Amino acid sequence: MVCLELFKKSFSRHLQYRAAHLINNIGSLVFGFMYIAIWQGVLEGKEHSSPYSVTEMTHYMAATQSLLMLSVFLTVGLDIPPAVRNGSISLQMARPVHYFLYVTSQEAGRLFYNLFFRSLPIALVFAVTVGYPLPDDPSTWLWGAVSVTLGVLIGLNLFYLIGISSCWTLEISGAHFINMTLMFALGGQMVPLDLLPSPLAGIALHFPFSGLIYYPVMVWLEKLPVVEALIVPLFWGVLLTLFNLWLTGWARRKLEVQGG
Amino acid sequence: MSMIEVQDLTKEFKVYRTKPGALGSLLSLFSGEHRRIRAVDGISFSVKKGECIGFIGPNGAGKSTTIKMLSGILHPSRGRVSVMGASPQHRRKYVAQNLGIVFGQRTQLWWDLPLRDSYEILRKMYRLEEKAYHRFLHRYHDLLSIGDFLETPVRKLSLGQRMRADLAAALIHDPPILFLDEPTIGLDVMAKESIRSFLREINREEKKTILLTTHDMDDIERLAARVVMINHGRIILDGCLETLRERIGLPSMIEVHYREVPRLARLDRVERVKAEGKNVTVHYDRNRISPPALLAELNRWGEPVDIRTKEPEIEEVIRRLYGEQADPRSKTAPAR
Amino acid sequence: MKLYFTLVGASIRARMQYKFNFLFSTFSYGLIMVTDFLMLAAILLRFDDIRGWSIYEVGVLYGISSASMSLYRVVAAEIHDFERYMVEGEFDSLLIRPVSPLTLLLSRNLDLNRIGGVVQGLSILGISLSHLTALPTFFWLLWYLPVALGTGLIISVSLGLMTATLAFWTHRIREFQVFTLYAPTNAANYPVSIYPGWLKWIFFTVLPVAFMNYLPATFLLQKGGEWYLLVVSPMAALLFAGVAFSFWRFGIRHYHSTGS
Repeated sequence: MVCLELFKKSFSRHLQYRAAHLINNIGSLVFGFMYIAIWQGVLEGKEHSSPYSVTEMTHYMAATQSLLMLSVFLTVGLDIPPAVRNGSISLQMARPVHYFLYVTSQEAGRLFYNLFFRSLPIALVFAVTVGYPLPDDPSTWLWGAVSVTLGVLIGLNLFYLIGISSCWTLEISGAHFINMTLMFALGGQMVPLDLLPSPLAGIALHFPFSGLIYYPVMVWLEKLPVVEALIVPLFWGVLLTLFNLWLTGWARRKLEVQGG
Repeated sequence: MSMIEVQDLTKEFKVYRTKPGALGSLLSLFSGEHRRIRAVDGISFSVKKGECIGFIGPNGAGKSTTIKMLSGILHPSRGRVSVMGASPQHRRKYVAQNLGIVFGQRTQLWWDLPLRDSYEILRKMYRLEEKAYHRFLHRYHDLLSIGDFLETPVRKLSLGQRMRADLAAALIHDPPILFLDEPTIGLDVMAKESIRSFLREINREEKKTILLTTHDMDDIERLAARVVMINHGRIILDGCLETLRERIGLPSMIEVHYREVPRLARLDRVERVKAEGKNVTVHYDRNRISPPALLAELNRWGEPVDIRTKEPEIEEVIRRLYGEQADPRSKTAPAR
Repeated sequence: MKLYFTLVGASIRARMQYKFNFLFSTFSYGLIMVTDFLMLAAILLRFDDIRGWSIYEVGVLYGISSASMSLYRVVAAEIHDFERYMVEGEFDSLLIRPVSPLTLLLSRNLDLNRIGGVVQGLSILGISLSHLTALPTFFWLLWYLPVALGTGLIISVSLGLMTATLAFWTHRIREFQVFTLYAPTNAANYPVSIYPGWLKWIFFTVLPVAFMNYLPATFLLQKGGEWYLLVVSPMAALLFAGVAFSFWRFGIRHYHSTGS
């Protein structure tokens, strides 16, 4: 199984940088504590008018910081743009494994690494300092895992979309910036989406970005019924995957015609 | 007048056992695990005005460490350097005013800007007067034709043009001393030739003192009246080109491919003959037998279809010096 | 100084060779900052204040810190990217000039893309100020703004320079920057008083971002601060700049003795 091999190789390649990532984790933690402090400052004495208690919001922010490493902080353009620039994308496309799978399984290997060396350490520190939410209901663990997987799928697809667009535009940094902004804002990184002003909340809850952070955290905190929390991410996960597969075919034809 | 004075110059590096990653390298600062290597080991020499010195040796021999200490980038562990009477360690900026430096492998020009802009910046950096600047542009247009591509962004220059532009840039403040690190690397024969004749010109006419490192023996033969050879941080030869010739000769190699398997005969005045089927490789010394004479001999063995000659390489030159000096390792002092 | 303007002019001309890309990334960088602030506005729209600070009061802090951080990214782009000089061994070429390496770095490149961030920061500041005209200290506030921006810039540059200096030992600094630069300057977008004690301590000492806006604001926005804080803050910034500069000098001496 080629994909599994790519997955494993990518995992072990990142193992060598774990010391550097440890430093980076400290940065992530400080950001987490910051957001927790902001929300404590905001909610103090106003819990009655909020759907989230201070504790719940603390847990929301702690879960967010560890989840960011899995669904939002992916490699810029999944490293596709350099391959386009130096032409190696044509070779990679010619391989027997589908290019979409080739790229995403490598990134998935990195994310699997992130799970152990970034998400879990971050979660662990929050667990001993401010408490980390652990659901009682065993089925929540299962559905939580499903919804995180969907989040990863959406994240991979959004990054792939931007990466593969470099076949047409070459320069993707602007698109990457905008994607990151939308991921943070409409993903629910700082503000749970249902707290946004009403028209914006309605839109955000139905956008693909909501599947990256908001819905997985909601499942994990048992704040939403499972079906309601999975339907939007599932829809976008499938749609984006199909779209990217189609786009890859188009990119391949373009490369065949123009020779990269 | 002595331009550069080097006495007992030594540079030791601590080599830490580093772990990968940022944290690893930070942690290894605190662990005492290291060993010392001596990159430059007590060398002394002095350079007079107008000399052109070829600084040669294999990679990692200590050439560039020495150049870096001469230009004030590195500070010596021991010993004394003086350039134009000042220590580059203590008066780096003064020394910088009197030095022109070219690193062949990387440009010091502004990549995205037209060449002219780079010169304008350097002109301000070295506080050049309007008149002197115009004189510079004219002079180096005459010598290096930089005027042909003054308005071209540096990234669009050919390698040969870029090297000419870099050379001119290093000379903009008219420094009496010029350090050149591999000035002809990667250039084609024509470009190499134009760089060499330019350097000869400024060495002879303007009495610029030049120190160049190179892997190309042709550079040395064409330019350097004096050769300093360095290996394992020590000077193993310091003398004029003739001294080098006497010691090692002019090692060369010729490869001949014959139509038929050649009839080998005894060959005097060559060092080694290796025959494999229709191919013959001969190592010889150009001081002892000239290439035409050798070819005449080889012609008697059969009908050559293809002939290739190879110039001597620094590595080969070094090997020969060691051939007469026994194992170099035994000479280096154990690190303290 | 004349050299500085020549160098800066040159870098602007270099940048202008890619006009479209320049406009696009300027725009998208500004967008990120504005979106971030809009999220905060969404929170405070619903919950009124954060420990007694209204949206406009936080906006003053936010405007000052984000404008000065962006200004730092504009003027000290090469310091921010200093690891390149270590990784690619380009630092030597700065040491062969009759000018100090710091001057060369500061003048080598202006990252004009980040101007968008400065504009957005100043806009947030302007809008917030227009709602605070009723303050008795309003004119003080107006007068003090240039000092505050200067203080913010000095602190940001000093943080950047200290982080860059680490590269003399570690070569890579990107992983550090999250902790030493991004986290503190983001934290300074909000009143430092909301953070837990250990974070507050950090923001007043090793990463002293509290001086760039929070401390003078406690007087200017009447949060219990005294007038002398207006003097103390820039002094603290200068002191910190002195420390950062000595550390940089120490780093250069280390480089002189070890090379790359």
